[in-house]
Order: sequence, then structure tokens, then C-alpha cells
Amino acid sequence: MAFEDLFKMHWQKIFRLCMGYTNDYDLAQDMAQETFIIVWQQLPKFRNEANIGTWIYRIATNICLRQVEKQNRFQKVELSANLAEEKQADPEPQIQLLYRFISELPETDRIIISLELENIKQSEIANIVGLSEANIRVKIHRIKEKLTRNFNNNGHR
Amino acid sequence: MDTDKINFNELWSGQKAEQPALKDLFVKMNNFKKANRKRIIVTNVLFLLTSIFILCIWYFCQPQLLTTKIGITFILLAMAIFAISSTNNSGLLKKTNEAESNQKFLTNLLAIKEKQQFMQTTMLNIYFVLLSTGIALYMAEYTSRMTTFWAVFAYGITGLWILFNWFYVRPKQIKKQQSKLKEIIRKFEDLQTQLNQE
Repeated sequence: MAFEDLFKMHWQKIFRLCMGYTNDYDLAQDMAQETFIIVWQQLPKFRNEANIGTWIYRIATNICLRQVEKQNRFQKVELSANLAEEKQADPEPQIQLLYRFISELPETDRIIISLELENIKQSEIANIVGLSEANIRVKIHRIKEKLTRNFNNNGHR
Repeated sequence: MDTDKINFNELWSGQKAEQPALKDLFVKMNNFKKANRKRIIVTNVLFLLTSIFILCIWYFCQPQLLTTKIGITFILLAMAIFAISSTNNSGLLKKTNEAESNQKFLTNLLAIKEKQQFMQTTMLNIYFVLLSTGIALYMAEYTSRMTTFWAVFAYGITGLWILFNWFYVRPKQIKKQQSKLKEIIRKFEDLQTQLNQE
């Protein structure tokens, strides 16, 4: 598949994943871009051994995990100024709340729940994260409970 | 409670973002690459120029004593180690494969970071020892032609400079590198523990 198609098809999903991880619009844009830069570089090496979507998610989630290390490095690379400017109008408060709650979870939980909410099969999530499917199922269940609790505590009915 | 169920999936997909132009993506990639390449080239060119300069001294001044030649070799070695290890560090990072599962990626990254931690300190120590011994040996021939006073003076000044580097610059440098790395390693270990929790 051509890179351009991949970029169009997966951009929103990858952005949401990064947004769930950081809850920071500009940073998420940055991370999504970095993901696609690596996708572009490594695409010739992709051998169809996995679903290409899974492959891209693996790259994106590893970029997320790697944020720790880059906090003082990558961000300093100048973004072309107009990139960050066109912000989307703020989404409705419920959406904002969900992303905030997710970004407050432990890092690996953020990744797991983001993939689940993106409707990725649990076997694929297990494949991306590197844990057993049973383990993923348990984790998803717990995370959803936690999110529901947070929403209810916040006065959601 | 179930009637209260929130549709997380729907909320989740409600988040939209402007998709940047493909062109901007490539601009960014090139900037990043260029900055990296420039750094490596500058280090290596500096190393090459200094080496040529020192070899010219060897060639044109024809040092008589063996100590001078050993000294020059040590200084060159020190600089070579510095250039190689700083180029190598970026090579180490290239060995990570982002297309692996999170679990494997973290394990690899952690191994690399630990190696880096070891390399940085060891390399820096070797660099300082080689450079200091090299300079001291190199000076021997020329100071032997001076009066005792000036010879002691020359060695005194150089010795002070070396001590300053060894006891002040070196530990400071190591501390700076290590504290950053340590923090990163701690964080990666923390991520691994998260994954392995039942």
C-alpha cells in the first residue's frame, strides 16, 4: 500500500492514540507525525508478517512509551509554524473528560484502552503490547471500570 | 448501573484532528535528519583536522625521543575514542526496532540504555587518562631542553590543568550524563513493571 494512503487512512486513529496518551493536542500531533516518519522509513522493510494496521500501531505505541526519553529532545525540533496553528474547535466536554481520564491512567493502560476504544481486536492488542490475550482482557475490564467510576464521580448520569 | 453505561467508543471517536499536509511531514523529517548528520560530521571533521595537524608536527618537527611519539599516539587515540563513541551512540539507538511489541521494545531499549550508561563513563575515563598521559609524555622532550625552573613551571601548569579536568570537569560531565540516563532507565523499568502486573 502506498504511504500516502496509509497516512490518510490511519492519521486520525494514530492521533487519537497519542492524544489519549498525552491529552496535549500539539504534542499528540508531533507524536503522530513522528510515527508516520518512522512508518515511511521502515515501510520497505515491512514484510506482511503482520496486519499493516497492527504494525503501525506498534510503532505508534512505542513512540508513546518513548516519550519519557524525548521530553527534552524531540520537542525542540522546530515545527513549521503553521502546523500547530490550525486547532480544531474544542470538542464537547464529555470527550475532553474521557481523554483527560485516560491520560491520567498508568502509561501502559493508556495504550491498551486507546486500542480497545479504537475497536481493535483483543488478540491484536495482545500482539501489539506483547501480553497474553487473557491478560489484556482482564486489564481492559479493570480500566473500563475505573473510567466509569471516574465519570460517575464527576457527576455523569 | 448498566443503564448508566457510558458509550466510551463513541466519545473516543469524537476527537478529531487536523491532518497535516504530507509535505510538512517530510520537511520535518529532513530537518531532523540534517541536524543529526551535521552533529556527527562536525565531530568527525574536527577530529580529522586535529589528527592531521598533530601528524604534521610529528613529520615536520621530527621528535627525537620515544616518549614524544608515544605521547602523540596517546593523544590521537584519546580523540579517536571520543569521536568513535559519540558517533557510536547514535548507532546504538538505531538498533531499536519500533515495530516490535511494546514488551520487547522496552526490554531492548532498557538494555541499550544500560549499555550506554556503562559506555559513557568508561569512555570518558579512558579519554581523560589517555589525553593526560599523552600530553605529559609529549612535553618531556621539550621541557628537557628548558632550565629546571621553566620545566617545573610548564609541568606545574599542565598538571594543574589536568587535575582540574579530572576532579572537576570529568565528574561534572559524568554526573550530567548519568542523571539524565538514570531517570530514563528508572522510567522504563517502571513501564515494564506496569506491563507485568497481573
